[in-house]
Amino acid sequence: MKVRLFFATDVHGSEVCWRKFINSAKHYEVDVLILGGDMTGKAIVPVVENGPDRWQYHMQDQQHDLQGDDEIDKAERLIRDHGYYPVRLSREQVQELTAEPERLEELFATERRRTVERWVAWADERLAGSGIQCIVCPGNDDQPDIDEILATSKEIIVGEGNVIDMPGGYQLVSSGWTNLTPWDTPREEDEPALHARIEAIVKQASAPPERLVLGLHAPPFDTQLDVAPKIDWDSLTVQGQDTAHVGSTAVRQIIDEVQPLLSLHGHIHESRAAVRIGRTLAVNPGSSYVEGTLSGCVVELDGKSKVKRYRLTMG
Amino acid sequence: MATNTEAPRPAEQTLFVRKASGLVKGWSTTDGFRYSFFSTNIFLGIWGFLYATFIPGGSVFWAVVITTICVLLEVVVYAGLISAMPRAGGDYVWQSRVFHSSVGFVFGATGWWFILWLWIPIYAALCVNSFIKPILRILGANGAADWLGKPTGVFVASLATIALATYLVAVGMKAYATFQKWALWFGLAGITVAGIILLFTSKAGFISAFNRESLHLYGTKDAYQATLAQFGKGMPSSMFSGSVWQTVRLIPFMLFWLLWPNWGATLYGEVRGAKDFRKNIYQMGGGLLSAAVIGIIFLFLVVKTIGYKFFMASANGYESYIYGYVTKTPHNGDYVSPTAMISWVVNNSAFQVILIAVISLLVFGWWGTVFLSSTRMIFASAFDRILPEGVAKVTSGGVPVIALLLMVIPSIVVSALYAYQPTFVRLTYDATLVIAVMFLFSGLAFMIMPWRVKSIWQNSALPKAKIFGIPWMAVIAALYSIFLAFNIVLWFYDPTNTYGTGYKNGSSLIFMGVLYVAAIVVWIIAWAVRKRQGMALEAVAKEIPVE
Repeated sequence: MKVRLFFATDVHGSEVCWRKFINSAKHYEVDVLILGGDMTGKAIVPVVENGPDRWQYHMQDQQHDLQGDDEIDKAERLIRDHGYYPVRLSREQVQELTAEPERLEELFATERRRTVERWVAWADERLAGSGIQCIVCPGNDDQPDIDEILATSKEIIVGEGNVIDMPGGYQLVSSGWTNLTPWDTPREEDEPALHARIEAIVKQASAPPERLVLGLHAPPFDTQLDVAPKIDWDSLTVQGQDTAHVGSTAVRQIIDEVQPLLSLHGHIHESRAAVRIGRTLAVNPGSSYVEGTLSGCVVELDGKSKVKRYRLTMG
Repeated sequence: MATNTEAPRPAEQTLFVRKASGLVKGWSTTDGFRYSFFSTNIFLGIWGFLYATFIPGGSVFWAVVITTICVLLEVVVYAGLISAMPRAGGDYVWQSRVFHSSVGFVFGATGWWFILWLWIPIYAALCVNSFIKPILRILGANGAADWLGKPTGVFVASLATIALATYLVAVGMKAYATFQKWALWFGLAGITVAGIILLFTSKAGFISAFNRESLHLYGTKDAYQATLAQFGKGMPSSMFSGSVWQTVRLIPFMLFWLLWPNWGATLYGEVRGAKDFRKNIYQMGGGLLSAAVIGIIFLFLVVKTIGYKFFMASANGYESYIYGYVTKTPHNGDYVSPTAMISWVVNNSAFQVILIAVISLLVFGWWGTVFLSSTRMIFASAFDRILPEGVAKVTSGGVPVIALLLMVIPSIVVSALYAYQPTFVRLTYDATLVIAVMFLFSGLAFMIMPWRVKSIWQNSALPKAKIFGIPWMAVIAALYSIFLAFNIVLWFYDPTNTYGTGYKNGSSLIFMGVLYVAAIVVWIIAWAVRKRQGMALEAVAKEIPVE
């Protein structure tokens, strides 16, 4: 049985990208949807009270002055589409959050959970009765609490740490954990620990390598999938035009050893590419969530032991 | 009613950011500036001034000023495109998204890939004539210098350029990026020294030094006067004087130098957004304006110390020799580069060699990247399935072998034509024209972006201010497109064959025609093959419904 799947990753809180991801099943006529991690947003945009029924927010160096519910609703939608969380606050509340990091952290958690709950509800409504398999795996930027929210979905299968049966006898091994980053994110660990984690999941898989798909957020080290601007870990500044391979040696080792049919990755947004590692096709479709575009990859498995064709998409 | 205004820095927190990967400061302003400054390279300007001798009735000074002002529109357009769609692949990706896969590929492939085959021998000729030959002359290695001027020498210099560009893509840019930083500062120090020499040398002193070295190196007595006598007729004596129309006609020549502040456009990636648009403008605009200011200062110093009429006569002599109008010049057909002329003021061979070598870093720090953008374009179209998957293949050491071969082999062929086919050297301006056509379509893409790809426009950090209901950004893009279209018309409608790119030059039309037809054929074959495989190329960039 031939299987068509669509893989996207790193939507980082962009509501428009999430909606596109769910709608991509119909758009690309696929059987399986896989989201490869980093669902949640990176920033909160305070929409500040500025008089009776007047609000103001700043985004991308522009000041936006709003009046009335329609304008606020529209602005909040725009902020969400950009991957940020809009929160209506008074000026005093903004000052309190600035001074109290713990309260800010709580606010992030609240907005994160609220957003994922809304996304899950929307996906359940859209995918109900469609026959589409939708697998979502959090990534290194996602706090652990979103797994339980995803698990409440009727249509979404949570990827983290699991082996998931797909149509046609294929299996997906899934994890959003990555090697260490300069940002000390929630799901990252050193290479030996990462290797052990992935190896343990792979051992649970019963499908032979030619029917095995890896969905690992971190790209394999030293490929076209893991090239990023070189960063100074202390100052978090880009080092000129210099680039570096920042993928995982553990992921690379697993691919080299297991030689699955297909290996799907994300994490490095600017490293949009597809490469062959032995007999494995490894893909990182990159991410363009900032502009509201869903970068992805449509892959057609031939039902036997080969990737029949694939294409990277910008939808 | 909602209003959007450019925001002054507010006193309170306007964005709360959590710890998350990818939140970095982007290309520093210095890095972006350096790349733009290198690309609008002063030596392309000086090389371009050679061609100004074809339109002696125009004012070079005002042509530089007008061109710089118009190219500032390009800075805004590309800063906007980079900010809205920060993508490796640049023009190819933007045009594919806004227009169609076919448009993106045809203009992207011809502009970022095919035409760079021709830039190889142009780079080689520029480096050989501006730096290597003058150094060899000073060192007394006349045999080597003469050989470099012969077709085989030109071809071998092109092969060396290809080898260097290939090596840098193959082993990575790390060491070269470090070299670039030093090359910029040393090169700038070199031209500062050259500027000081020109500033403090009298015209009589310059003429005396020029004649001394010409006699020493070429055996020509009173070469300054001889150059003026043989090639000064009809050359302008002022860089300011000239009719408006003839000055406008000089602009396509100036674009050979000033069109490229956006050369790094394919290299920008996703960076922490807020100020990118303005920062991109500062980077590219800074590079452009610095190059233009240095060029103008150079021209003023030429007027003061070298003599403008002589400067143009010397250029006219070289052009006349290259184009076969004369068989003898006071300098045996050599291009007497301004760098060499200035170094000759100091009567010390070691100083002369060091000064020329240090200034040459401004070119050598830049030309190694000639294949960089091409390979990105090739990869991007392979990932979009226009080119076969194998094209994006890399070796275990990370070398993009096939993509490199797609640059190297045609570059060798074009370099051979440039070296051995005398008419081919007249196609120099095809190298600018084909890229200008690509830029035109990117300008048009930016112009219609607010309507054609509304979601990207709305999500972008670009100023949304309007005039008569039309976004300012679209107006700027329209003006830029008109500017480019006007120059493209000048290039093509060229009854006197001044630019060598118009309908009077069959070789040029055939050369460019082959490039465009090749790109169209590749896209059509890809479209047919993918369609048979059940894959629509045009769907690659088709927007997924949101609701």
